[in-house]
Amino acid sequence: MDNLFLEATKATPLINFDADKRIIFIKGQSYPENAFKFYDPVFNWIDTYLAANPSEIRIDVRLSYVNTSSSKCIMMLLENFEKAFERGVNIQLKWYCDMENESEVECAEEFKEDVTFPFEIIPELEKDH
Amino acid sequence: MNKIKRSGLYDKGTMWVILLACLSIAISMLLTGSLSYNITKKAVIEKLKTKDLFFIVQSAAGRIDGRMARAKETSLIMARDPFLNEWVSKGESDLETKKLALEKLNRIATEYDYSNTFLASVNSHTYWTEGDVVGKLSETNPQDQWFFETIQSRTPISVNIDYNKERDNTFVFVNALMGDLEKPLGVTGVGLDLNDISKEFTSYKFGEIGTVWLVDRFGKIHLAANLEDRGRQLRDLLPSDICAMVLSSDTQSVDQQQIIEYTSSDGELIDLVHQTLQSTDWQLVLQVPRKETIGFLTSIMTNTIITALLALLLITFVFYLVSTRIANPLKRAIRLSEELERKVNERTQELKEQNIKIMDSIDYAKKLQETIIASDQEMLDAFKNSFVLWQPKDIVGGDFYWLRKMNNKVILAVADCTGHGVPGALMTMAVAPILNHIVQEGYHSSPGEIIKELNLRIKSAMQKEGTRITDDGLDIGICLIEGDTLKFAGAKIDLYQKKQEGVLRIQGDRHSIGYLKSDPNQTFKNTILEITKDDYFYITTDGFIDQNGGPKNHSFGRKRFISLIEESSNLNSQEQRNFFNQSLINFCQEEPQRDDITVLGFQV
Repeated sequence: MDNLFLEATKATPLINFDADKRIIFIKGQSYPENAFKFYDPVFNWIDTYLAANPSEIRIDVRLSYVNTSSSKCIMMLLENFEKAFERGVNIQLKWYCDMENESEVECAEEFKEDVTFPFEIIPELEKDH
Repeated sequence: MNKIKRSGLYDKGTMWVILLACLSIAISMLLTGSLSYNITKKAVIEKLKTKDLFFIVQSAAGRIDGRMARAKETSLIMARDPFLNEWVSKGESDLETKKLALEKLNRIATEYDYSNTFLASVNSHTYWTEGDVVGKLSETNPQDQWFFETIQSRTPISVNIDYNKERDNTFVFVNALMGDLEKPLGVTGVGLDLNDISKEFTSYKFGEIGTVWLVDRFGKIHLAANLEDRGRQLRDLLPSDICAMVLSSDTQSVDQQQIIEYTSSDGELIDLVHQTLQSTDWQLVLQVPRKETIGFLTSIMTNTIITALLALLLITFVFYLVSTRIANPLKRAIRLSEELERKVNERTQELKEQNIKIMDSIDYAKKLQETIIASDQEMLDAFKNSFVLWQPKDIVGGDFYWLRKMNNKVILAVADCTGHGVPGALMTMAVAPILNHIVQEGYHSSPGEIIKELNLRIKSAMQKEGTRITDDGLDIGICLIEGDTLKFAGAKIDLYQKKQEGVLRIQGDRHSIGYLKSDPNQTFKNTILEITKDDYFYITTDGFIDQNGGPKNHSFGRKRFISLIEESSNLNSQEQRNFFNQSLINFCQEEPQRDDITVLGFQV
């Protein structure tokens, strides 16, 4: 299937989804005016990817700020991963945080609370991933 | 208008460039040309004066002198010839001797290239030539004067020009005295045909107009390249002062050339050179008009001017071609960009007007939103001291704070609806009335219950089945103050109580309300607090705490917020407001506001 690549902007994160190389990578900040509009293609791609029934999925996330509407969208994504996990897919998510940024850490922790699949919060300094 | 003027200006520019180029080329050519002309002219004239004229005159004089010298030599030899001497002294009577003598005369004439030879006897006054006797010399005959003068002169050799009637020709005679100079026996010598010499003269003429003259001491022209001049006087052909100069050359300047420059009666500039011959006291005069000398320069100049003009024309043409090649596309580009600029200005103007309309309507919407916000007066009535920092991100926003005072109770609500700007504001306008109704209908003793009810009603009011497109809700914190008690319940909004001992954080439940997935059965815990005098309470939405800034671009953070509360102990309400506001401004510096900001502080 086609890759999904969206350049990062001031208010939206970098999206790098590559089915062949098995890369699911989100990095940046997320506070677009219309979060649903931005995440629509993201949802579609993940849906298609999950429908193809991969055996294992690895997700890497580095989001330093997520506004309310964006966090709803992220939550929805995580729910889809949760469903796949319940079906038996091997899912592993790594969420990188700058541990000095309170809100960033709390945000990651809140997301972690709502899922059961392996969700690691990993310290990451302010440099490129 | 601007467009036309600009293209006109550009054309003028091209013309100016071409004009300037032509002008500078023309000037430099002119300069070079006139300089070269003048230098060459001067050099040519100099050469003429110091070399050419000299050489010609010298050469001509040399040849004539050579001829004369030879003639003199021959005459002298004849004069000293013992055979001739004897013949004359014996009275020219002996026939045998006479025959031999005449033979001798003849031989000399024919073999040595003289037109004639002669012998004149003093005794008999007979004049012999190479042919035979010619005649007798008489003292009364003016034509024979030469003889008598020569006899008297005592000079061994002399020259005179004579028109010989018998031969009908002018000759140059070289006379040599025979015998003793005091008492000469006779005169003998040779005669040169002037015609021979004059043929050579024409070859010495300088160009077409120059003249060569052979003049005697008195100025009579005996030989000339121009045959008509023969026999005329020099003073008739030259200005008198020049003529005087030519003829006054004394014998000491023999073989010295003199160059004279004068203007003729016709206004022509003439260069004249004259030289006294070695062999006689005659002058060789060579004269050439200046324009003859430098005539070639004129033709060069004319040719150069024509070439320069042609070159100029060519350059103008080339310049014009080149500049149009460059100018035309450039002009088109300029016109195009002007056209685009105009269009852009039009569009910008349209957008400006649209934007103004939108902003005007949002400005009015702000007024509408302010109707649901607790007014300053209400705040004053409800609390001893209070401050509000309410800053929607985009004029209108999703945060609001709401107050209801009833009997002895005060209910304060601080809410953060999904989103900001217009969508957020619309939500607030939907939520506020529902909150009103809930409290009016009797839910005014338990903040937790209010929140639970609000959850249900919002869900039912806003939910459409299963669409993701709009799934909105809110976070809220509600304080119910009665006497010395404060009851607090929160849905993802916390309360901070500043007591003397420190700051206490009372967390709200970690559930938002109104969303699809908000559990309708969700209950919200009430926290009951004892209010001590001087306690100061703070509620904030996440806008303040999540604002990014600082060197690492992190969020402001709860820790920093709590330290602000601690540091504001001695400030009054207004000062506290400024303190919180300024601290955030200092923190975020260049970063724009990210979310709606609401911070409330109150003292009961």
